[in-house]
Amino acid sequence: MFRSMVFLLCGSIALTAVAQEAKPTAVLSGLNNPCGVAVQGATGYVFIADHKGVHRLDPKSGKAHIEISGFPTDIYGKGPKYNIGPLGLAFWDDEHLIVGDGSRPDGEELVRIYKVGKEAAHKDHEPIKEDAAVATLGPIKASEESAKGEGNFYGIATNGKSIFITCNGDDTKGWIAKSTAAAGKPGALKLSIATKVATEVDAPVPVIFSLDGKDLVVGQMGEVSTPPGDSLLSIYDPETGKLKKNYKTGLNDIAGLAYSPKTKKLYATDYSWSAPKAGGLFRLDITGDTIKAVKIASLDKPTACAFDKNGVLYVAVFGTVAEGSDKPAGSLVKFDSGL
Amino acid sequence: MNCLSRSFRAVWWALPTLLLGVAVAAEKSAPPLGLPAAPVPADNVMTPEKIVLGKQLYFDGRLSADNKVSCASCHDPAKGFSNGEQFATGVEGKKGGRSAPTVINTAYGTLQFWDGRAKTLEDQALGPIQNPIEMNMTLDAVIKKLNGIEGYKTQFKKVFGTDVTSDGIAKAIAAYERTVISGNAPYDKFKAGDTKALSEAAQRGQKLFFGKAHCSACHAGPNFSDNSFHNVGVGMGKKDFDKGRAEISKLSGDTGAFKTPTLREIAKSGPYFHDGSAKTLEEVVDHYAKGGTPNEWLDEEIFNIKIAPTEKADLVKFLTEGLSSSDYPDHKAPELPK
Repeated sequence: MFRSMVFLLCGSIALTAVAQEAKPTAVLSGLNNPCGVAVQGATGYVFIADHKGVHRLDPKSGKAHIEISGFPTDIYGKGPKYNIGPLGLAFWDDEHLIVGDGSRPDGEELVRIYKVGKEAAHKDHEPIKEDAAVATLGPIKASEESAKGEGNFYGIATNGKSIFITCNGDDTKGWIAKSTAAAGKPGALKLSIATKVATEVDAPVPVIFSLDGKDLVVGQMGEVSTPPGDSLLSIYDPETGKLKKNYKTGLNDIAGLAYSPKTKKLYATDYSWSAPKAGGLFRLDITGDTIKAVKIASLDKPTACAFDKNGVLYVAVFGTVAEGSDKPAGSLVKFDSGL
Repeated sequence: MNCLSRSFRAVWWALPTLLLGVAVAAEKSAPPLGLPAAPVPADNVMTPEKIVLGKQLYFDGRLSADNKVSCASCHDPAKGFSNGEQFATGVEGKKGGRSAPTVINTAYGTLQFWDGRAKTLEDQALGPIQNPIEMNMTLDAVIKKLNGIEGYKTQFKKVFGTDVTSDGIAKAIAAYERTVISGNAPYDKFKAGDTKALSEAAQRGQKLFFGKAHCSACHAGPNFSDNSFHNVGVGMGKKDFDKGRAEISKLSGDTGAFKTPTLREIAKSGPYFHDGSAKTLEEVVDHYAKGGTPNEWLDEEIFNIKIAPTEKADLVKFLTEGLSSSDYPDHKAPELPK
């Protein structure tokens, strides 16, 4: 009767473990739902995207100024609801910052590239206006491939030739969009990798290149309304878009990925929507088909993360607004080199 | 099957393996086509004896106050492991407020019940027994009653090494429910390369399902469920509507949200939706095509879709033909212990 039944949990196995927790240092507070972090290689300035715009932080002085402003506001979620603006950040080259949009309805959102230069902002600094980009990619409008058009451009990875952007507008396909450069200029933004079709799990969120630049490394968030540990780490060929490897991580909602330039280790943030106490910063140790997620620090709803060239890790943290308060609870924290 | 293979099978059942903290036991090396292996918790290893016991408990009305209502009353194999009615019907004909969700492939679910209030099948198994409008028993009363049945007492000793306990009841029923699996459907065969497995209409419906009709936004993965909770605009026109998942999660965004059911064997398990309000799959498709009943918590995946009548028919064809397996788990009631 039960001949066809099989009860073997197979495929990639995820394990989680807890190391002695590292302590983060607060760098910037009062942020409003921060979702993007990028470090300018040449200067070490840290750029952070939150609802209000894109901020530039000088880590030496600890001072921050708004760098790009004037984004509209969109609301994410149905309760809790979050005001969101620009989302993903990545540097196209030393001076040009790519900003993914979350401030408009799906099908209208844009990916913009701004010249931010290498000079530190100062108190009289006039922010760049949101529409004063040197290049604008998108929108990706409704089509047979995307019923309402794409948007919520959260994760950005670039190698100077191509730009890959995760999209969270259309839950059917879980698209990663791609722009291919020609003559040094980014080309049109096109739907490229249907991650949900490839992995059968929702929502590509962070995306980075592997250390050798040959692979695209994607955090597949999974469902947010339950904590089933369904987040995946997926490896794609950036040229063909073919899924090369798919790991179960055991994490709930991967929201950030970064390789340490010093130790070459891979780190992930887990936002853990429905069980925030389980969230934090994790090291992902890969052995064969297995990932062991080692908890490095508990954080209150962490999102994007990025290393500087010295191995200092910056992590954007949503935080929790105190009941009855209207003060933003978001912050940027750092972990000193050693990770 | 020869003696050698039979004894090999028995060894597999009797020697559950611990692999990386997860207990597994296998009778055969491959799951049904189209499905991954079903997860089994480390503390409830599958054994043939436990499954037999769980099946008896599942079909036994003596677990209810009036000795008439069993798990199978509302989750009947002959009715898609649901009950064919709008609502679940319990002792003395009492009606619940939600339809009876199918047990098919619930082994793949991460949370149980329409609102996900049970974290495991084991947690779920004891709920209906104690529900006053379902089986209306206390656990103490059930344990006492079953301990008075020699057949159960003997089997519990053999399987768990104890008299009848609530923990044992839960584990045995859950173990049986993990055998209620349906895969190897025409959809799976077609996907595996058998181009004749689906009719042309079902193939068109499949394309709509994964494309324009947007069904796979929620009915995703091998079990056609994302195991998540969505407000799909059902029952929202009423003043005192069912709050669904929000009652459990306490998040306002979950208001009116219910678990995405599997679509495997969907042709057998109507009526549909958490409130059993759609009698046919055609009605279900019409509901989604119009974008559900508008409400402030409506999922953004639910919106008006322009879909022609012929396309609706194709979609239903895919659901009925494509997801109905010839290996349907048509379990029959076993002989019950005396």
